[in-house]
Amino acid sequence: MNRRLFTVLLALIASVSPAGAQSKAWDLLREILLVPGVSGHEGPVSYFIQGRLPAGLKAERDAMNNVWFTVGSGRPHILFVAHSDELGWVVDKITPEGRVRVKQGGGILPQTVEARPVIIHTGKGDVPGIVSPRPGYDDRPSEVETQEAPFTATAFDIYLGVTSEAEARALGVAEGDPLTAKKTITDLGPGLMATRAVDDRAGCAALLDAALRLRPETVKGKTVTFAWDVQEEVGLFGASALAKTLAPDYVFAIDTFVSTDSPLESKRFAYLPVGKGAVLRAIDSSNVTPKTEILKVLAIARKRAIPVQIGNSRGGNDGSVFLAGGAVDIPLSWPGSYAHSLIEKIDRRDLEALTNLILAIVSDWE
Amino acid sequence: MAHRIGRTFGIVAAGVCLVAAAAGAADLRTVIKELFAVPSTTGNEDMLAAKIRGLLPKGAVIEVDPLGSIAVRLAGTPGPTLVLGCLDGYGHIVSGFTPEGYLTLDRPVAPPHARFDAYLLGQPVVISTAKGPVQGVISQPALHLLTQERRRTLVEGFSLENAYVDLGVRSEKEARAKGIEMLDAVTYPAVLTELAGDQWAGPGLGLKAAAAALVAVTGTLSGRTAREETVIAWAAQTKFMARGRGARPAIGAVRARTKWQPKRTIIVEAISAGKGDGFPFPGGGPVLVQAKDEPSELRSALEAAAAAAGAPLQFLTRPDSPMAAPFADRSADVVTLALPVRFLNTPSEIIAVKDLQALQDILQRFLQPGGGK
Repeated sequence: MNRRLFTVLLALIASVSPAGAQSKAWDLLREILLVPGVSGHEGPVSYFIQGRLPAGLKAERDAMNNVWFTVGSGRPHILFVAHSDELGWVVDKITPEGRVRVKQGGGILPQTVEARPVIIHTGKGDVPGIVSPRPGYDDRPSEVETQEAPFTATAFDIYLGVTSEAEARALGVAEGDPLTAKKTITDLGPGLMATRAVDDRAGCAALLDAALRLRPETVKGKTVTFAWDVQEEVGLFGASALAKTLAPDYVFAIDTFVSTDSPLESKRFAYLPVGKGAVLRAIDSSNVTPKTEILKVLAIARKRAIPVQIGNSRGGNDGSVFLAGGAVDIPLSWPGSYAHSLIEKIDRRDLEALTNLILAIVSDWE
Repeated sequence: MAHRIGRTFGIVAAGVCLVAAAAGAADLRTVIKELFAVPSTTGNEDMLAAKIRGLLPKGAVIEVDPLGSIAVRLAGTPGPTLVLGCLDGYGHIVSGFTPEGYLTLDRPVAPPHARFDAYLLGQPVVISTAKGPVQGVISQPALHLLTQERRRTLVEGFSLENAYVDLGVRSEKEARAKGIEMLDAVTYPAVLTELAGDQWAGPGLGLKAAAAALVAVTGTLSGRTAREETVIAWAAQTKFMARGRGARPAIGAVRARTKWQPKRTIIVEAISAGKGDGFPFPGGGPVLVQAKDEPSELRSALEAAAAAAGAPLQFLTRPDSPMAAPFADRSADVVTLALPVRFLNTPSEIIAVKDLQALQDILQRFLQPGGGK
């Protein structure tokens, strides 16, 4: 093939495909998962997302920090939505000894942050602290076995290195400040990592990557909206707000598939291996996807050789709030081991398959 | 257990010593961070020993013990005085491979407390192999799939029985291809958290900080004559206790006594502090520990050194630790100078840098010619 013919072919492919450059989803994920955004405090992460979107896409933002843009026109209206909030806690009070207590919740097993660092995101900047181990943690067990009090978020006693409330406040800590576990990325191998906040920053990164590769002028005969919504982890509140203004025919919620690909889980269901492709969440705790739609997605994926796995698991998704308005919810995912932990695992191949699937659906969905 | 709180300040010398301490502080911080980055558990102390050897002054003659302990000797009048720190901390080892490529774990020694293994749940770990560090995570059940029964058995009852290291591979062959072998040390990543008040937190930090103080002291005094011939040693296998009836001394300390035959001994180790905001206090200075609250030449000398250095001291009376026990038959000649550590033997041990600086200053002053008088 001579060079001129090759150039013409490349231009032809680019003109009919909604996708432009190579995927940068992996790099975006490694960046965005470090940006704080506890539910109800998504400002930093939503600004990050909006700041990365191409200017020509005319992104909108509401008071809750939902961010979205729409391209194309007509029906069907397809909505892709990923949630930008992450699990974490909120400062409830500061004790006279300068210790920080948090409100109930968090969504993470409290035991996994016992005696571990956390970061309080204050108006003055980040303040590190250590969740105190439970009292008497190193005492000898008594001869008579006694029931140990459960270690919950309300039992957290966060040590900042100060000894008074005044000193804690001088650091900038105040009631209502969000806090997250200190994040570290464990690279298990090339393109395989485990860390906090993969749920749902992987969805955000996939959608952002798709937005960056999208060629809006190629979206014909349909309306496509990409949204990054807030407060999913605490009750799908951001999606509920969007559902008041958007009336999609199809919603593709982009969020974790809780996989049992681990040595501790029963393989009775939800066993979709990490590294084997994107996922269509056929059934979860909030939605049952019609089989006709599953087959449509599979056909699109097959046409472009995108690996897709189908599974049923637990957990809800943002698309479910659009069901009442008449939309069909088709959740897309990656297989995620250790969901809602400090070590949520993800494979680059799955993420890139997901972003490719999003673009393929933008192109081919009817 | 009885205790007495005392604070000793050498008012005249304080100004001079504070300036000296400030000048040396940067070095001590650097040494702490260098040692902190190196994993070291009982039976796997070689990397930390090598790191310490690399930080010691060029030309220092290193004495070694076949179990892995290392020492340097300072010249002086016949002694020796032994200043004995630790090389090993608590941790885990690779005990097996599953066909799916997960690692199983064991401990080389008994845990320091009943909850020690439970901290592993859902955490990143580092396996120290001959080929270099390998990263992994300890599997945990997904929150969405937890029934009450699974919460009870897999979370509340988490133990080494259900601790699996996920390396991101699918077979034993792939796991071994990463260089992992049985008995390799498994520790938490060395992630340092700097808190307010110049307090630092991290896994195994108390041990590393105490070892760093000895490195800094050696660096200052090497090549000079000490108040008395002195062996500064970092002992391996200090968390492994000798078998037999009665007291269970630390093997590393037993061998140190046999090898160096000290006239007097200063044990340098970490001590649990700030429990329930009680005594001893983190930030209150090193803790001078004795089995009996009685005067001794060694204790007086250390108190005098602290006064001269302008460094605070706390005092605690308690039964001899496994490190001090081998020297207990001459109890007047063994003292423990401990670094107070908050949340000792958790993944976030917290030290106050000023306590460590005080520890270094006291030892330095004590070991100088005429020190402790």
